Amino acid sequence: MQNAAWLPVAFEIVLIVGALTVLMVAVVMDRNRKVWGPVAGFTFLLAGAVGVLQWMDVADGGGGMFFSAPGLEITKSPMVVMDGYSAFAAIVLGLVGFTGFLGSWDLVTKIGKRSAEFVTLSLLAFAGLHMMVASPNLLVIFVGLETASISFYILAGFVRDDINAEESSLKYFMLGSLASALFLYGVALTFGATGSLTIYGANSIRYFFSLNLITEPGILLVGMALMLIGLFFKISAAPFHQWAPDVYQGAPSGAVGLMAAGVKVAGFAAFGRIFIGGLLSQIDAWGPIVAVIAAVSMVIGTTMALVQTDMRRLLAYSGVAQAGYLLTALLAGADAIPGMWFYVSTYAFMIVGTFAIVSAVSGPGSTSAPMSDYKGLVRRSPELGWLLAILMFGMSGMPFFAGFVGKVLAFIAAGSVGYIWLVILGTLTTVIGLAFYLKVVATVFASDGDAGEVLEPSLSTRFAVVISATITVVFGIVPWILIDVVRDALPF
Amino acid sequence: MTVTITWYLLLAAALFSIGVGGVLIRRNALVMFMSIELMLNSVNLTFVALSKELGLIEGQVAALFVMVVAAAEVTVGLAIIIAIFRRRVSANVDELAEMKG
Repeated sequence: MQNAAWLPVAFEIVLIVGALTVLMVAVVMDRNRKVWGPVAGFTFLLAGAVGVLQWMDVADGGGGMFFSAPGLEITKSPMVVMDGYSAFAAIVLGLVGFTGFLGSWDLVTKIGKRSAEFVTLSLLAFAGLHMMVASPNLLVIFVGLETASISFYILAGFVRDDINAEESSLKYFMLGSLASALFLYGVALTFGATGSLTIYGANSIRYFFSLNLITEPGILLVGMALMLIGLFFKISAAPFHQWAPDVYQGAPSGAVGLMAAGVKVAGFAAFGRIFIGGLLSQIDAWGPIVAVIAAVSMVIGTTMALVQTDMRRLLAYSGVAQAGYLLTALLAGADAIPGMWFYVSTYAFMIVGTFAIVSAVSGPGSTSAPMSDYKGLVRRSPELGWLLAILMFGMSGMPFFAGFVGKVLAFIAAGSVGYIWLVILGTLTTVIGLAFYLKVVATVFASDGDAGEVLEPSLSTRFAVVISATITVVFGIVPWILIDVVRDALPF
Repeated sequence: MTVTITWYLLLAAALFSIGVGGVLIRRNALVMFMSIELMLNSVNLTFVALSKELGLIEGQVAALFVMVVAAAEVTVGLAIIIAIFRRRVSANVDELAEMKG
């Protein structure tokens, strides 16, 4: 544990330097996409590689707490923590960012002269997302959350000439800011109750609870509830999901893929860091709330998805249901972390790949995706049709696809701590959910009617979709490869 | 009559509640936006009051961070509202109902 080290913050440094490089190159080299495009893609890959370096360093015992205020001991108030948890998040965020970037390339080429700003903002957003995971300080987590959220508000409204994009941008901004403010008030009240903003180390929140075994002051309960509500908003758990369908529908497809995947990964990781890392001793207070929200999300997400006629709204409600399954995983405390990681990392790739397909089929800047666009897709573009079917199977939780393993791990975790009713409900909604996922597959394979002209997806879209479909299939057939890895991806 | 920390915390809670109410009830985008700023500033008041009470500097540092974040949010939020206002010459959020379901 030393006070100055580069590796723990290397992910953020790489992404921010990459973002500034893209911006500068775009100004100097006359906005030539062929120059800064590879720079941006390489930055995401390099960030993922940094995650691998962090992972190896942690395995060698190099992890720990870093960067306290000047003159303070390192354990007094660390600002950055490097453990298996943050290293795994770096790997996932780097690769998801890269895949999402490939998926959004069609949009980037379409928006013309402002395209460098789009890429810069997505790089900055991912730096913020990793800050949420890699910091043990609630205030830094908030700053990371806002860095990511503010970037995504802009990305959601990036196609400025479209009325739906503006609407989705404003809705995302209003409800997102409300959620951030609620989260922040929760941080302030938790600070008041425990006298600390830090999760680990001396004088930390965890240390406070190890001393005061019976304390459960009301101010802390209110603080925890507000932090929970703020995070529920971000991960679009029902009943805090109202923004999700409009934003998923109205924002340009490329931006939605990045946003949906990135926020889910970082939101759940931050949830695990704060509530399992710091407030695990209070699980009796927050566990039942999370269980109820998980149940409501599964039910509302599944039933609303059944009646959607727009592909993107369907994906949004499917995301609400997935948030419910993921929350189920977190109920088991520290044992639940590997299951949560498996589920959220594979789901992130599935949603990124699906939105790459949506971008190719309905148009990269489109702000709606009626189901009729997808009718007979397999005849217009056999590869996109089949890959979309694979991704839908993956999300629905069919055996031999990654979503199935994720759900099983989540339900085992919840069952092991006695939430049997939740497991039964989850299984039921999974079965009901098959209806709308299979409806999409049936639409794609529909053989009646005129399919329309042949669709030739761009090379970047193909890459993005193939990466995500490969992950869905490989980790569905041989899940233990990833399970062995996430077993070590724990916060300390 | 002495003013204790409870007063500050209650004032902050009241301001925060007014802010939440404003976001949920008012229909003008600018007023909703001001309500969000009110919420953030009431959090600042909470942080500073607790910082004084607990004798910890962290709370005051937190207030500074929140101000910077709020400033960034203002920039983006106003830009979005202006973009919408240019098209519709109205800042009423009820008119923004193209998407449903």
